[in-house]
Amino acid sequence: MLDFMFVTFAALTVFGALTMVFHRSIVHSVFALVAALFGVAGLYWTLGADFLGATQILLYVGGVTVLLLFAVMLTTRETTRVSLARNALMAPIVGWLGVTLWQAYTGVAVVLGAGGVTPSAEPEPTTNAIGTALLERDAYLLPFEAVSVLLLVVLVGAVVVARRRQEPA
Amino acid sequence: MPDVELGVLVQPAAATGLAGSLTSYLFVSALLFLCGLAAILTRRNVLYVLMGVELILNAANLNFVAFGRFGGYGLDGQLTAIFVILLAAAEAAIALAIVLRIFNDFGSIDVTRTDSLRD
Repeated sequence: MLDFMFVTFAALTVFGALTMVFHRSIVHSVFALVAALFGVAGLYWTLGADFLGATQILLYVGGVTVLLLFAVMLTTRETTRVSLARNALMAPIVGWLGVTLWQAYTGVAVVLGAGGVTPSAEPEPTTNAIGTALLERDAYLLPFEAVSVLLLVVLVGAVVVARRRQEPA
Repeated sequence: MPDVELGVLVQPAAATGLAGSLTSYLFVSALLFLCGLAAILTRRNVLYVLMGVELILNAANLNFVAFGRFGGYGLDGQLTAIFVILLAAAEAAIALAIVLRIFNDFGSIDVTRTDSLRD
């Protein structure tokens, strides 16, 4: 059952990401990104991270993609296709980086496998523990407060930046 | 046989198969990263670049959570991922405000045409 969920969500993630990169219409690309982000949320659930998966859907699928759609509708007029001729150099770069990345990943996984912990069969609910860790002084209280200040700065900054410039009279 | 030895002998169900191996999650994460990189490198519309950045952040998050689960680091991986999600949302808000300003000033959001910071 868990394997079935993993394969489903992994396929959703990868196909969503590929569609996002290669589709002609940017609106389709945004919706493909929604599919990919939803697949990542499902992968979080198969990893036992229930709160994180819900956060992913709330913030990414509900928030970031709506912002992206607004930006697309406000700015983009034409559709563009990925030109393979112009980007002929990019394919080997991406491929080479992919191979390197994969070797690094498997290397880390082998090192980790020596002292790694087999996860328990039944994941525990995490929401309570995450809330406690966020507000505990020795754990994540300082980053939590710093992020609060940062979000306030972002709120004000986004308004200031996006506002039309005042024309001198 | 005492209960303690039984607990050692019984294999956890989740530790087998695709969903029970770190490598399968790392594979999906690497593919996500490469898709994001390809979007950043090949597209000229700045919104595609933003979406590529989001994909790369998600790939990193998936790694955090997978290593946290299979490496026995408890909730630290998930907490880091939560902070990354928050920062990604903040980044998206600021970046889209900048995109709107670029569109107002240049009449286009082609990354190859926005080449000056002043009037």
